[in-house]
Amino acid sequence: MSRTSTPGRWRGTILALAVASWGAEPAQAHIIATRLGDFYAGAAHTATDLHDVVLWLALGALAGSLGPERGRWLVPAFPLGLGAGFGLASWFGVATPAPAVAAALIATIGLLLSAGMRLPVLLVWLLGAAAGVSRGLANATGTMAATNLPLFAAGLVLAGYVAITLAAALSVAFRGDRQRSETGWRGIALRALGGWAAAAGLMMTGFTLAQAGTG
Amino acid sequence: MISSRIASSRIDISRSVSSRSVSSRSASSPIVLPPCRSGIVCLVAALLLCAAPASAHEQVGVAGGLSSGFLHPLTGPDHLIAMVAVGIWGAQLGAPALWVLPITFPIVMAIGGLMGILHVPLPYTEVAIALSALVLGVVVALKWRTPFIFAAAIVGAFAIFHGYAHGTELPNAANPFAYALGFVVATGCLHLVGITLGLLLRWPMGDRVLRALGSVIALLGGYFLVVSLGGFGA
Repeated sequence: MSRTSTPGRWRGTILALAVASWGAEPAQAHIIATRLGDFYAGAAHTATDLHDVVLWLALGALAGSLGPERGRWLVPAFPLGLGAGFGLASWFGVATPAPAVAAALIATIGLLLSAGMRLPVLLVWLLGAAAGVSRGLANATGTMAATNLPLFAAGLVLAGYVAITLAAALSVAFRGDRQRSETGWRGIALRALGGWAAAAGLMMTGFTLAQAGTG
Repeated sequence: MISSRIASSRIDISRSVSSRSVSSRSASSPIVLPPCRSGIVCLVAALLLCAAPASAHEQVGVAGGLSSGFLHPLTGPDHLIAMVAVGIWGAQLGAPALWVLPITFPIVMAIGGLMGILHVPLPYTEVAIALSALVLGVVVALKWRTPFIFAAAIVGAFAIFHGYAHGTELPNAANPFAYALGFVVATGCLHLVGITLGLLLRWPMGDRVLRALGSVIALLGGYFLVVSLGGFGA
């Protein structure tokens, strides 16, 4: 009797456990409250602003679409720019750029990605550095008087490095070799993503400028 | 033998029933459930345990902006059928329309969106959107092969009106950037649906199905056009 009724009971238990696990929330570790908390705050701060998320992904996709030989220049340029921008804002009091700047950068990167142009290496480097400086300045607003600035900056720069490298590597892998990507659907899909980013960036540039105009 | 095994595998849950309900039933007829039912009961109980409060009202922040932007083209049937028709027509025309369309359409639409954000007057927006569904449905139904430039001009002109309609809602969104991103992505996905439907062109029957679909879109577009002009008691 007990042997035959066990499977039914176990099935219910397993189902209940599976559903309970499905609804589980992430555990709150204590490390964020330690002295390394500012490092994580810097790394996570970028994820709180959609401008950062879209700009970083678009920049990574652009790097990948240019191919490894040209796109790799964005990998050091962007995080270095982030660090420089953060440093300029935190230690030299340089003002945060207007919101329209981030939107215009997204629109520019999106347009370049959708155009499928072979950009010169210098322009790629300058674009990555400019985007990094702009977002570094903007992310410096996430600090407070008690924030450990070097730790925050380290987290920010490392997050930028990891994000841009992963996004670029993913888009290189997705795109495949250059010959096929120029006519194949993968290259077109990447360019369509650029069109989406450009469209959203263009509208936000207009919106933020209009808002600034109306005060 | 089999019936005895089934009977023995049943779970007697009479002990879990409250004493009051037990007293109202006959003691000789306990409630038994087969094993599969017990699993369902456990599953439902676990789901109830995990239930989160329903958010009946509008969402806020990035999630609210994204969802309202994403749903804007999907909940407007005139937008929806016109965008799917654009994808199907692109597939019918083939390259370069097939790949130029998904890349450039959002950018042209953004110009219309910008006009909507800045409240630049653009009369007869709803009429033009309904007309776009009608015209695009007709060209799909007729499988009209026109020079690429002409097709791009037709689609581009309609894109301005579609973008305008979305753009006017943008300043009121919970998060305007998320809203813009949401409706651009939703529009791109609708094009993708149309392009994917275009794969049916590989088969003769699929070609007819697509042309029939174009006719349905044209009819719906005609209906929306009449409604936007004040017909049907609108």
